[in-house]
Amino acid sequence: MKTHFRELSVAAAFLLVLLAMACFAPSFYHAQPLLSLATRESPTLLIACGMALVIICRQIDISVGSQFAICSVCSGLLAAMHWPLVLVLFASLGLGLALGALNGLLVAGLRLPSIVVTLATMVTWREALRWKRQGEFVNLPDGAQWFGLHQVQGQLMMVAMALTVLVLLALTTKHVAAGRFVYAVGSDAEAARLAGIRPQLVTFSVFAFMGALTGLAALINAVQSPQVDPKSGTGLELKAIAAVVVGGVAISGGRGSLWGAFVGLLLLACVSPALTHLHLPPYWERALQGAIILLAVVADGLRARRERFA
Amino acid sequence: MTMPKTFALTLLAVGVLLAGCSKSTDTSNTASGKKLAIALMPKSKGNAYFISCKAGAEKAAKELGLELIFDGPTDPDPAKQNEIIENWITLGVDAIAAACENREGISTALRKARAKEIKVITFDSDASQDARDFFVNQATPEGIGNTLMDEAARLTGSEGEFAIITASLTAANMNEWQKYIEARRSSKYPNMKMVALRPCDDLKDKAQAEATALLSANPNLKLIMAICSPAVPGAAEAVKQAGKTGQVKVIGLGLPSENRRYVKEGVTDSVILWKTEDLGYLTLYAAQALANGSLKPSDKTFKAGQLGEFEIQGDNILLGKPFIFNKENIDQFNF
Amino acid sequence: MNAPKTSKSGAWKSIWLRHETVLFAILILEWLYFNSVGPRFGSLDNSCDILRHSVEIGLLALVMTPIILTGGIDLSVGAMLGLCAILFGKLWRDAHVSVWIAGLATLGIGGFCGALNASLITLLRLPPLIVTLGTFSLFRGLAEATTQGVDTFTGFPNFFLALGQSELVGLPAQAPLFVAVAVGIWLLVHRTTFGRSWRAIGFAPEGARYAGISVERRVGMTYVLAGIIAGLAAVIYTARLGQAKADAGTGYELFAITAVVLGGTSIFGGVGSVHGTLLGVAAIAVLSNGLVHARQPREVAGMLIGALLLAALTVSVLAKQFAARSKIGHARHST
Repeated sequence: MKTHFRELSVAAAFLLVLLAMACFAPSFYHAQPLLSLATRESPTLLIACGMALVIICRQIDISVGSQFAICSVCSGLLAAMHWPLVLVLFASLGLGLALGALNGLLVAGLRLPSIVVTLATMVTWREALRWKRQGEFVNLPDGAQWFGLHQVQGQLMMVAMALTVLVLLALTTKHVAAGRFVYAVGSDAEAARLAGIRPQLVTFSVFAFMGALTGLAALINAVQSPQVDPKSGTGLELKAIAAVVVGGVAISGGRGSLWGAFVGLLLLACVSPALTHLHLPPYWERALQGAIILLAVVADGLRARRERFA
Repeated sequence: MTMPKTFALTLLAVGVLLAGCSKSTDTSNTASGKKLAIALMPKSKGNAYFISCKAGAEKAAKELGLELIFDGPTDPDPAKQNEIIENWITLGVDAIAAACENREGISTALRKARAKEIKVITFDSDASQDARDFFVNQATPEGIGNTLMDEAARLTGSEGEFAIITASLTAANMNEWQKYIEARRSSKYPNMKMVALRPCDDLKDKAQAEATALLSANPNLKLIMAICSPAVPGAAEAVKQAGKTGQVKVIGLGLPSENRRYVKEGVTDSVILWKTEDLGYLTLYAAQALANGSLKPSDKTFKAGQLGEFEIQGDNILLGKPFIFNKENIDQFNF
Repeated sequence: MNAPKTSKSGAWKSIWLRHETVLFAILILEWLYFNSVGPRFGSLDNSCDILRHSVEIGLLALVMTPIILTGGIDLSVGAMLGLCAILFGKLWRDAHVSVWIAGLATLGIGGFCGALNASLITLLRLPPLIVTLGTFSLFRGLAEATTQGVDTFTGFPNFFLALGQSELVGLPAQAPLFVAVAVGIWLLVHRTTFGRSWRAIGFAPEGARYAGISVERRVGMTYVLAGIIAGLAAVIYTARLGQAKADAGTGYELFAITAVVLGGTSIFGGVGSVHGTLLGVAAIAVLSNGLVHARQPREVAGMLIGALLLAALTVSVLAKQFAARSKIGHARHST
């Protein structure tokens, strides 16, 4: 209980919001809209999982939004050329992996700071895509939406995919050595090296894995509607980082869990629908999200302060 | 770095700069053999609507044999349009045609252009009156607002709840349209009620999410009005996925190519726009005519190449009325 | 950081290989190239354009330098600019305060926002990245909420607009202010104990604490200073644009960070210079402006800046490795 106090308190806050919705806006609780909301946030969950790993490893990746956009457009173009969707999936994963690996090479290989590297790649990829595409949508062929399944089946499948990845990653980081290496490198890279772990390899892999997850998330997002918007993924990195941080992952590395990222995402993602259902004006949305982030961090800081002076 | 070395390097820098600044008295503009250079600025780049305006403008540029410079801001900061215009002033273009994101903000730069003898025309969204010579008006904000509200009323029997999805809360032209929509509603359709206004940040996916939430939060919703173009297919997809096709109508301002699918399936009833290529074409012809003096402030009509005559009301060159794309006619257009 | 006894030629060599010198060379190369492809590029008008467009971002980059020197970061400077801009407008328009008093009050408001960052970061020992990520959303959100997205402030008196738009002995009117702040921050960072303490804190915070430096107060100072200068930048921005909007300054923080890192300041803290930052701002500004004269679209500027940033970092790291290796080789040979 104590070790997961942070995650549990965020989950409690989320449950409070749900309670408030039940009292003041029961229209929130209809099956189809909730399923649509969950499906819409599934790609974000995948990104948040990858981001959690990156941050636990004491790095950061602010280029995921641009990677997402490129993978979305490429998947759309390949699907429009009538490639089978399985091949499109591999292509998207591969492209994401390549983009992430580039980040990883620069950060792990050249020891460049991750925030600057990913800032540079974010700007470069975003402008290159905008130059090529000029805002034009990509039209998917008829069988591509929902992977060719019926809507509800497709939605359930996507939510299931995201949750499966979450559970697998959560178990891996707890019980599999490779997962623990991420924590080790994040807490103290030098100690990890002395213990026989290769920090540069772990760092590289974390970025490459983030890229692969982005590719998967991009495809899932693309097939939720018959057109791909090249602007999709805008603001995704901030959303993911905010979710991860609210969920208790420390930016200084080595601490936090994927479950935390999950509940952090739940809490932040429900701000917008909550405002709509409570018929509150929309211009409070950004201020509220900022307030939640600050509250979460301040709570962390107060607790750490108490422990320091205890 | 020690002081003497810093000083030496600074001197070097200033020296190079001064050597480069020798052309400050360059005043030559169009000599009689040089091509006219007309600069066209969209509200932002990467917007399919303005790309189709550009296509029309390129056609006109080819016919007229002039150089077309197309550039615009790639990020949402309001000052970027001004910076580009100031760059063009220094570049020495002959005319500027701009779609204005911030009416008063951009007027600052446009007035400066006029002071330097550069002709200024606005299109799609206007600047302050003293900042430009003419405004190519595809449809007045009042016309757009009225058409949207009238269509909404027609589809819902003039009563019921509707919601609006806009691009961002700060977008100036959308705020103007909302003003006229509200004015039309309160004067002609008092039994219709606008229950929500949500921004989608010009993203189709976010518009879809907002529409989904709107549908479930307002069970009596009868119509969604999407006034930013990515929001029209986004809202339509949301209505379709919620299984409320036909129950909740979707209308909006968007491109036919992005909405063809939904119009044919009956999810979206009407898409309101105008012939964007013609808008670009007309704008460029007008800019050229201004630059060589054939279009004067007192003119009442203007002939634009292959498109024929256009009416001028005051200082507005009118493209026509908003056009309603629906099931019957949407196949005739491919932009 | 250790300066071994070098001969005179060694001292000059250490200048040629410095990061700032390479950046300066890149700047000269850019200038020469654009001068050759764009006939109006080297004119005094254009130089004034470049200067005028870089003042607000330059101010933010200048004030970001001490923050990054201490090993921190501030993602909220752009949002602070936006919030200060609209509060400035509100004070002038709704509270009927005179423009100058409103301007001074804006500096205070900026300082207050910076103090919020400072207290969260220093009192609660919270990571600056996340605190400023939160305040980035909070400040922008407050700006949107105060104006409800739609409100903009215009119609400022002419003598105020002159600050942003007119010229003073041939240079833009805001240039003296910028130069004053630049000199002030240069002196602060390079010639005072504050600057030394910031470097020390960035290099080794615990070591600095044991050396008797009041880390919290010194670090807090940088964030409050950032807030005050963001307020100043907001006033200049409003004067230049003639309008205050909630989305003013969107994206400025990333630009500022890019300029600072390009200028050779290490993102981890401890190493860096203010003149490097100024060179970084100049390199980016000249590149963006030059590409317009070279008739290239805006997106190319973005891509090149990203590539330039990566190249600068990579070369810096490789050069250090090469220097370290050659020093070891040297030492081996000399024994």
